[in-house]
Amino acid sequence: MRKAIQKRMEAKKYVWEGAIPLQIHLHESQVTTLPPPPPALILAPRIGYLPLLVPLIKPHFSSTLPPGVDTIWFEYRGLPLKWYIPTGVLFDLLCAEPERPWNITVHFRGYPGNVLIPCDGEDSVKWSFINSLKEAAYIINGNCKNVMNMSQSDQLELWHSVMNGRVPVRLYVWSISEDFDDWEDLSQVDSWEKISYINRPIEIHKEGKCFTLHDAMKSLLPEFFSDESLSDSKLARVDFEDAQKIPSEDVSSNKVVEDQGQNAYEHREACCISSSAEIKLIRIQGIEPKLEIPFSWLVNNLLNPDHFLHICVCVKVPQ
Amino acid sequence: AESPTSVRKVVVHLRATGDAPILKQAKFKIPGTDKFAKVIDFLRRQLHRDTLFVYVNSAFSPNPDELVIDLYNILTSYFHTSKGISLVVF
Repeated sequence: MRKAIQKRMEAKKYVWEGAIPLQIHLHESQVTTLPPPPPALILAPRIGYLPLLVPLIKPHFSSTLPPGVDTIWFEYRGLPLKWYIPTGVLFDLLCAEPERPWNITVHFRGYPGNVLIPCDGEDSVKWSFINSLKEAAYIINGNCKNVMNMSQSDQLELWHSVMNGRVPVRLYVWSISEDFDDWEDLSQVDSWEKISYINRPIEIHKEGKCFTLHDAMKSLLPEFFSDESLSDSKLARVDFEDAQKIPSEDVSSNKVVEDQGQNAYEHREACCISSSAEIKLIRIQGIEPKLEIPFSWLVNNLLNPDHFLHICVCVKVPQ
Repeated sequence: AESPTSVRKVVVHLRATGDAPILKQAKFKIPGTDKFAKVIDFLRRQLHRDTLFVYVNSAFSPNPDELVIDLYNILTSYFHTSKGISLVVF
Protein backbone atom coordinates (compact mmCIF):
# COMPACT_ATOMS: atom_id res chain seq x y z
CA MET A 1 0.00 0.00 0.00
CA ARG A 2 2.85 2.34 0.92
CA LYS A 3 4.49 1.64 -2.43
CA ALA A 4 1.34 2.66 -4.21
CA ILE A 5 1.24 5.94 -2.31
CA GLN A 6 4.92 6.52 -3.03
CA LYS A 7 4.34 5.99 -6.69
CA ARG A 8 1.38 8.29 -6.69
CA MET A 9 3.48 10.97 -5.06
CA GLU A 10 6.13 10.42 -7.67
CA ALA A 11 3.52 10.87 -10.36
CA LYS A 12 2.39 14.06 -8.67
CA LYS A 13 5.95 15.33 -8.64
CA TYR A 14 6.05 14.78 -12.36
CA VAL A 15 2.92 16.84 -12.74
CA TRP A 16 4.48 19.76 -10.91
CA GLU A 17 7.50 19.44 -13.06
CA GLY A 18 5.41 19.55 -16.18
CA ALA A 19 3.72 22.86 -15.55
CA ILE A 20 4.15 25.88 -13.37
CA PRO A 21 1.18 27.07 -11.34
CA LEU A 22 1.14 30.85 -11.67
CA GLN A 23 -0.59 33.42 -9.54
CA ILE A 24 -0.55 36.53 -11.68
CA HIS A 25 -1.09 39.90 -10.04
CA LEU A 26 -1.96 43.08 -11.89
CA HIS A 27 0.53 45.80 -11.08
CA GLU A 28 -0.95 48.30 -8.65
CA SER A 29 -0.29 51.23 -10.99
CA GLN A 30 -2.85 49.81 -13.37
CA VAL A 31 -5.57 48.97 -10.93
CA THR A 32 -8.41 51.43 -11.36
CA THR A 33 -11.15 49.65 -9.45
CA LEU A 34 -11.86 49.10 -5.83
CA PRO A 35 -11.51 46.46 -4.56
CA PRO A 36 -8.57 45.45 -6.73
CA PRO A 37 -9.08 42.39 -8.90
CA PRO A 38 -7.98 39.02 -7.51
CA PRO A 39 -4.92 37.48 -9.11
CA ALA A 40 -5.34 35.19 -12.08
CA LEU A 41 -4.53 31.53 -11.42
CA ILE A 42 -3.04 29.80 -14.42
CA LEU A 43 -1.24 26.52 -14.93
CA ALA A 44 1.49 27.40 -17.41
CA PRO A 45 3.21 24.71 -19.46
CA ARG A 46 6.92 24.57 -18.78
CA ILE A 47 7.66 24.36 -22.46
CA GLY A 48 5.51 27.41 -23.23
CA TYR A 49 6.13 31.15 -23.09
CA LEU A 50 4.49 33.80 -20.94
CA PRO A 51 3.11 35.99 -23.76
CA LEU A 52 1.10 33.01 -24.94
CA LEU A 53 -0.89 33.15 -21.72
CA VAL A 54 -2.14 36.65 -22.47
CA PRO A 55 -5.44 35.46 -24.00
CA LEU A 56 -6.15 33.80 -20.65
CA ILE A 57 -4.95 36.71 -18.53
CA LYS A 58 -6.31 39.74 -20.33
CA PRO A 59 -10.03 38.98 -19.93
CA HIS A 60 -9.41 38.54 -16.23
CA PHE A 61 -8.19 42.10 -15.82
CA SER A 62 -9.71 43.97 -18.74
CA SER A 63 -12.42 45.67 -16.72
CA THR A 64 -9.89 47.24 -14.36
CA LEU A 65 -7.32 48.46 -16.85
CA PRO A 66 -6.90 52.16 -17.56
CA PRO A 67 -7.77 53.26 -21.09
CA GLY A 68 -5.00 53.15 -23.65
CA VAL A 69 -2.84 50.81 -25.65
CA ASP A 70 -1.65 47.62 -24.01
CA THR A 71 2.02 46.70 -24.01
CA ILE A 72 2.11 43.57 -21.93
CA TRP A 73 5.07 42.41 -19.93
CA PHE A 74 5.72 40.29 -16.84
CA GLU A 75 7.92 40.81 -13.87
CA TYR A 76 9.07 38.81 -10.85
CA ARG A 77 10.10 40.81 -7.80
CA GLY A 78 11.00 43.78 -9.94
CA LEU A 79 12.86 41.84 -12.61
CA PRO A 80 11.25 42.09 -16.05
CA LEU A 81 10.90 38.61 -17.47
CA LYS A 82 12.44 37.86 -20.85
CA TRP A 83 9.56 36.64 -22.90
CA TYR A 84 11.56 34.38 -25.21
CA ILE A 85 12.75 32.17 -22.38
CA PRO A 86 10.42 29.20 -21.76
CA THR A 87 8.26 29.56 -18.66
CA GLY A 88 9.75 26.50 -16.98
CA VAL A 89 13.25 27.81 -17.48
CA LEU A 90 12.35 31.19 -16.03
CA PHE A 91 10.89 29.50 -12.98
CA ASP A 92 13.88 27.23 -12.50
CA LEU A 93 16.24 30.11 -12.94
CA LEU A 94 14.61 32.74 -10.81
CA CYS A 95 13.01 30.75 -8.04
CA ALA A 96 15.86 29.13 -6.15
CA GLU A 97 13.41 27.73 -3.66
CA PRO A 98 10.47 26.77 -5.84
CA GLU A 99 7.49 28.88 -5.02
CA ARG A 100 4.10 27.31 -5.63
CA PRO A 101 2.15 29.01 -6.96
CA TRP A 102 4.72 31.30 -8.54
CA ASN A 103 3.68 34.86 -7.87
CA ILE A 104 4.45 37.09 -10.80
CA THR A 105 3.15 40.49 -11.83
CA VAL A 106 1.67 41.48 -15.15
CA HIS A 107 1.91 44.98 -16.58
CA PHE A 108 -0.16 46.39 -19.39
CA ARG A 109 1.70 49.68 -19.62
CA GLY A 110 5.18 51.09 -19.40
CA TYR A 111 7.09 48.50 -21.37
CA PRO A 112 10.73 48.55 -20.22
CA GLY A 113 12.32 48.91 -23.62
CA ASN A 114 15.75 49.34 -22.10
CA VAL A 115 15.59 45.86 -20.59
CA LEU A 116 13.26 43.85 -22.78
CA ILE A 117 13.22 43.59 -26.54
CA PRO A 118 9.80 44.32 -28.03
CA CYS A 119 7.14 41.66 -28.13
CA ASP A 120 4.15 41.87 -30.42
CA GLY A 121 2.39 38.88 -28.94
CA GLU A 122 2.18 35.46 -30.49
CA ASP A 123 4.01 36.36 -33.69
CA SER A 124 7.11 37.49 -31.85
CA VAL A 125 7.17 34.34 -29.75
CA LYS A 126 6.68 32.18 -32.81
CA TRP A 127 9.55 33.94 -34.60
CA SER A 128 11.84 33.41 -31.66
CA PHE A 129 10.84 29.77 -31.36
CA ILE A 130 11.37 28.95 -35.02
CA ASN A 131 14.76 30.58 -34.99
CA SER A 132 15.77 28.59 -31.94
CA LEU A 133 14.71 25.49 -33.75
CA LYS A 134 16.78 26.53 -36.76
CA GLU A 135 19.73 27.17 -34.54
CA ALA A 136 19.33 23.74 -32.97
CA ALA A 137 19.20 22.23 -36.43
CA TYR A 138 22.31 24.17 -37.38
CA ILE A 139 24.14 22.92 -34.32
CA ILE A 140 23.19 19.33 -35.03
CA ASN A 141 23.54 19.31 -38.78
CA GLY A 142 25.55 22.31 -39.78
CA ASN A 143 22.58 23.70 -41.66
CA CYS A 144 18.90 24.45 -41.20
CA LYS A 145 17.68 22.62 -44.25
CA ASN A 146 15.42 20.31 -42.32
CA VAL A 147 13.62 23.19 -40.66
CA MET A 148 13.58 25.33 -43.79
CA ASN A 149 12.13 22.44 -45.75
CA MET A 150 9.25 22.09 -43.37
CA SER A 151 6.15 23.17 -45.14
CA GLN A 152 4.36 26.20 -43.83
CA SER A 153 1.64 23.99 -42.44
CA ASP A 154 4.16 21.73 -40.71
CA GLN A 155 5.88 24.72 -39.15
CA LEU A 156 2.54 26.01 -37.96
CA GLU A 157 1.61 22.64 -36.58
CA LEU A 158 4.90 22.47 -34.71
CA TRP A 159 4.26 25.92 -33.39
CA HIS A 160 0.78 25.03 -32.26
CA SER A 161 2.13 22.12 -30.29
CA VAL A 162 3.82 24.69 -28.09
CA MET A 163 0.75 26.90 -27.99
CA ASN A 164 -1.99 24.39 -27.40
CA GLY A 165 -0.12 21.55 -25.84
CA ARG A 166 -0.43 19.64 -29.09
CA VAL A 167 2.40 17.16 -29.31
CA PRO A 168 3.66 15.61 -32.55
CA VAL A 169 3.63 11.87 -32.11
CA ARG A 170 4.88 9.01 -34.25
CA LEU A 171 3.20 5.84 -33.16
CA TYR A 172 4.53 2.46 -34.30
CA VAL A 173 2.11 -0.36 -33.63
CA TRP A 174 3.28 -3.93 -33.76
CA SER A 175 0.38 -6.35 -33.87
CA ILE A 176 0.65 -9.92 -32.71
CA SER A 177 -2.02 -12.57 -32.60
CA GLU A 178 -0.43 -15.30 -30.54
CA ASP A 179 -0.43 -15.96 -26.82
CA PHE A 180 2.91 -15.96 -25.13
CA ASP A 181 4.53 -16.40 -21.77
CA ASP A 182 7.84 -14.79 -22.48
CA TRP A 183 8.72 -12.04 -24.87
CA GLU A 184 11.35 -14.37 -26.23
CA ASP A 185 8.68 -16.78 -27.35
CA LEU A 186 7.21 -14.27 -29.73
CA SER A 187 7.98 -14.61 -33.36
CA GLN A 188 10.27 -12.03 -34.83
CA VAL A 189 8.90 -9.12 -36.80
CA ASP A 190 9.67 -10.33 -40.28
CA SER A 191 7.83 -7.78 -42.32
CA TRP A 192 6.97 -4.13 -42.14
CA GLU A 193 3.42 -5.21 -42.89
CA LYS A 194 3.16 -6.17 -39.24
CA ILE A 195 3.88 -2.62 -38.15
CA SER A 196 1.42 0.20 -38.59
CA TYR A 197 2.67 3.70 -38.47
CA ILE A 198 0.44 6.46 -37.22
CA ASN A 199 1.39 10.12 -37.30
CA ARG A 200 -1.18 11.79 -35.11
CA PRO A 201 -0.59 14.76 -32.80
CA ILE A 202 -1.91 14.52 -29.27
CA GLU A 203 -3.61 17.44 -27.58
CA ILE A 204 -2.95 17.87 -23.93
CA HIS A 205 -6.03 19.31 -22.31
CA LYS A 206 -4.85 21.47 -19.50
CA GLU A 207 -8.12 21.80 -17.66
CA GLY A 208 -9.28 19.21 -15.25
CA LYS A 209 -7.20 16.36 -14.02
CA CYS A 210 -3.76 15.41 -15.18
CA PHE A 211 -3.50 14.17 -18.76
CA THR A 212 -1.81 10.81 -18.53
CA LEU A 213 -0.16 8.40 -20.93
CA HIS A 214 -3.32 6.37 -20.63
CA ASP A 215 -5.38 9.34 -21.85
CA ALA A 216 -2.97 9.83 -24.71
CA MET A 217 -3.10 6.19 -25.76
CA LYS A 218 -6.85 6.31 -25.61
CA SER A 219 -6.87 9.20 -28.06
CA LEU A 220 -4.32 7.55 -30.35
CA LEU A 221 -5.81 4.07 -30.38
CA PRO A 222 -9.44 4.41 -29.35
CA GLU A 223 -10.20 1.05 -30.91
CA PHE A 224 -8.17 -0.67 -28.20
CA PHE A 225 -10.10 0.91 -25.40
CA SER A 226 -13.61 -0.07 -24.49
CA ASP A 227 -16.26 2.55 -23.76
CA GLU A 228 -15.85 1.93 -20.08
CA SER A 229 -12.94 4.01 -18.84
CA LEU A 230 -10.30 2.28 -16.80
CA SER A 231 -10.92 3.11 -13.17
CA ASP A 232 -8.57 2.49 -10.31
CA SER A 233 -10.91 -0.09 -8.88
CA LYS A 234 -10.76 -2.08 -12.06
CA LEU A 235 -6.98 -2.00 -12.00
CA ALA A 236 -6.90 -3.18 -8.43
CA ARG A 237 -8.99 -6.19 -9.29
CA VAL A 238 -6.21 -7.74 -11.34
CA ASP A 239 -5.68 -10.68 -9.06
CA PHE A 240 -2.63 -12.69 -8.35
CA GLU A 241 -3.53 -15.30 -10.92
CA ASP A 242 -3.26 -12.74 -13.66
CA ALA A 243 0.00 -11.56 -12.17
CA GLN A 244 1.43 -15.02 -12.82
CA LYS A 245 1.02 -14.40 -16.52
CA ILE A 246 3.30 -11.39 -16.45
CA PRO A 247 6.37 -12.16 -18.53
CA SER A 248 9.53 -12.81 -16.61
CA GLU A 249 11.97 -10.01 -16.21
CA ASP A 250 13.37 -8.79 -19.44
CA VAL A 251 17.05 -8.18 -18.91
CA SER A 252 16.93 -5.04 -20.97
CA SER A 253 13.97 -3.66 -19.09
CA ASN A 254 14.70 -1.38 -16.21
CA LYS A 255 11.68 -2.54 -14.30
CA VAL A 256 11.97 -5.56 -12.07
CA VAL A 257 8.73 -7.35 -11.46
CA GLU A 258 9.42 -8.43 -7.92
CA ASP A 259 6.33 -7.85 -5.95
CA GLN A 260 4.00 -9.28 -8.49
CA GLY A 261 0.89 -8.96 -6.44
CA GLN A 262 1.49 -5.34 -5.66
CA ASN A 263 2.86 -4.28 -9.02
CA ALA A 264 0.36 -6.21 -11.01
CA TYR A 265 -2.06 -3.37 -11.34
CA GLU A 266 0.68 -1.05 -12.46
CA HIS A 267 2.19 -3.41 -14.97
CA ARG A 268 1.45 -3.00 -18.61
CA GLU A 269 -0.37 -6.32 -18.52
CA ALA A 270 -3.13 -4.56 -16.67
CA CYS A 271 -4.02 -2.42 -19.62
CA CYS A 272 -6.13 -5.11 -21.19
CA ILE A 273 -9.34 -3.28 -21.52
CA SER A 274 -11.31 -4.34 -24.53
CA SER A 275 -12.10 -7.99 -24.72
CA SER A 276 -10.92 -8.16 -28.29
CA ALA A 277 -7.54 -6.51 -28.13
CA GLU A 278 -4.91 -5.72 -25.55
CA ILE A 279 -2.00 -3.39 -25.41
CA LYS A 280 0.92 -5.49 -24.28
CA LEU A 281 3.72 -3.00 -24.31
CA ILE A 282 4.34 0.71 -24.59
CA ARG A 283 7.90 1.82 -25.00
CA ILE A 284 9.30 5.33 -25.36
CA GLN A 285 13.06 5.96 -25.57
CA GLY A 286 13.58 2.46 -24.27
CA ILE A 287 11.48 3.15 -21.22
CA GLU A 288 8.22 1.40 -20.43
CA PRO A 289 6.34 4.10 -18.58
CA LYS A 290 3.39 3.42 -16.38
CA LEU A 291 0.05 4.37 -17.82
CA GLU A 292 -0.64 6.88 -15.13
CA ILE A 293 2.49 8.88 -15.90
CA PRO A 294 1.63 12.47 -16.84
CA PHE A 295 1.93 12.76 -20.56
CA SER A 296 3.60 16.15 -20.23
CA TRP A 297 6.49 14.49 -18.41
CA LEU A 298 7.05 12.26 -21.41
CA VAL A 299 6.93 15.27 -23.69
CA ASN A 300 9.34 17.23 -21.55
CA ASN A 301 11.84 14.44 -21.21
CA LEU A 302 11.54 11.95 -24.01
CA LEU A 303 11.15 13.95 -27.21
CA ASN A 304 13.50 13.18 -30.04
CA PRO A 305 15.51 16.01 -31.55
CA ASP A 306 12.99 16.10 -34.37
CA HIS A 307 10.55 17.27 -31.76
CA PHE A 308 8.45 14.16 -32.11
CA LEU A 309 7.55 11.72 -29.39
CA HIS A 310 8.19 8.29 -30.84
CA ILE A 311 6.02 5.64 -29.20
CA CYS A 312 6.33 1.92 -29.82
CA VAL A 313 3.33 -0.20 -28.99
CA CYS A 314 2.76 -3.92 -29.09
CA VAL A 315 -0.84 -5.03 -29.32
CA LYS A 316 -2.35 -8.43 -29.23
CA VAL A 317 -5.29 -8.88 -31.55
CA PRO A 318 -7.57 -11.85 -31.88
CA GLN A 319 -6.76 -14.33 -34.67
CA ALA B 1 48.26 39.92 -31.87
CA GLU B 2 46.28 40.32 -28.73
CA SER B 3 47.60 41.03 -25.29
CA PRO B 4 46.57 38.43 -22.74
CA THR B 5 44.38 40.91 -20.94
CA SER B 6 42.44 42.05 -23.98
CA VAL B 7 39.05 40.66 -24.78
CA ARG B 8 39.08 38.59 -27.89
CA LYS B 9 37.23 40.33 -30.67
CA VAL B 10 35.23 38.58 -33.31
CA VAL B 11 35.11 39.74 -36.89
CA VAL B 12 31.65 40.08 -38.31
CA HIS B 13 30.98 40.51 -42.02
CA LEU B 14 27.93 42.26 -43.23
CA ARG B 15 26.60 41.06 -46.52
CA ALA B 16 24.15 43.57 -47.89
CA THR B 17 21.06 42.06 -49.32
CA GLY B 18 17.95 43.18 -51.06
CA ASP B 19 17.15 46.75 -50.34
CA ALA B 20 19.39 47.05 -47.30
CA PRO B 21 21.89 49.80 -47.94
CA ILE B 22 25.52 48.84 -48.19
CA LEU B 23 27.56 50.01 -45.27
CA LYS B 24 30.74 51.92 -45.91
CA GLN B 25 32.44 49.45 -43.70
CA ALA B 26 31.24 45.91 -44.27
CA LYS B 27 33.48 44.32 -41.68
CA PHE B 28 33.57 45.16 -38.04
CA LYS B 29 34.95 43.76 -34.84
CA ILE B 30 32.97 43.14 -31.74
CA PRO B 31 34.09 41.74 -28.38
CA GLY B 32 33.20 38.09 -28.01
CA THR B 33 31.67 38.76 -24.65
CA ASP B 34 29.07 41.08 -26.13
CA LYS B 35 25.57 39.88 -26.73
CA PHE B 36 24.11 39.63 -30.16
CA ALA B 37 21.70 42.39 -29.14
CA LYS B 38 24.63 44.78 -29.46
CA VAL B 39 25.18 43.74 -33.05
CA ILE B 40 21.54 44.42 -33.81
CA ASP B 41 21.68 47.81 -32.10
CA PHE B 42 24.85 48.72 -33.95
CA LEU B 43 23.31 47.84 -37.29
CA ARG B 44 20.11 49.61 -36.45
CA ARG B 45 22.05 52.82 -35.85
CA GLN B 46 24.29 52.40 -38.89
CA LEU B 47 21.43 51.64 -41.21
CA HIS B 48 19.04 54.10 -39.62
CA ARG B 49 16.34 51.50 -39.27
CA ASP B 50 14.08 50.74 -36.35
CA THR B 51 13.33 47.15 -37.16
CA LEU B 52 15.88 44.81 -38.60
CA PHE B 53 15.94 41.13 -39.25
CA VAL B 54 19.47 39.93 -38.90
CA TYR B 55 20.40 36.42 -39.95
CA VAL B 56 23.73 34.73 -39.34
CA ASN B 57 25.16 32.73 -42.22
CA SER B 58 21.78 32.94 -43.95
CA ALA B 59 20.57 30.35 -41.51
CA PHE B 60 18.84 31.70 -38.46
CA SER B 61 18.24 34.81 -36.45
CA PRO B 62 19.90 34.39 -33.06
CA ASN B 63 18.40 35.04 -29.71
CA PRO B 64 19.53 38.54 -28.63
CA ASP B 65 21.07 37.17 -25.43
CA GLU B 66 23.47 34.94 -27.27
CA LEU B 67 27.08 35.80 -26.80
CA VAL B 68 28.91 36.64 -29.99
CA ILE B 69 31.68 34.22 -29.10
CA ASP B 70 29.21 31.38 -28.62
CA LEU B 71 27.68 32.13 -31.99
CA TYR B 72 31.09 32.27 -33.56
CA ASN B 73 31.95 28.88 -32.09
CA ILE B 74 28.71 27.32 -33.27
CA LEU B 75 29.24 28.65 -36.76
CA THR B 76 32.87 27.69 -37.10
CA SER B 77 33.70 24.75 -34.87
CA TYR B 78 31.45 21.94 -35.78
CA PHE B 79 31.32 21.65 -39.49
CA HIS B 80 34.01 23.99 -40.73
CA THR B 81 31.57 25.40 -43.19
CA SER B 82 32.19 28.91 -42.10
CA LYS B 83 35.18 31.05 -41.24
CA GLY B 84 33.26 33.49 -39.14
CA ILE B 85 30.02 35.28 -38.63
CA SER B 86 28.49 36.66 -41.76
CA LEU B 87 25.35 38.66 -41.41
CA VAL B 88 22.52 39.12 -43.78
CA VAL B 89 20.14 41.90 -43.02
CA PHE B 90 16.58 42.34 -44.14
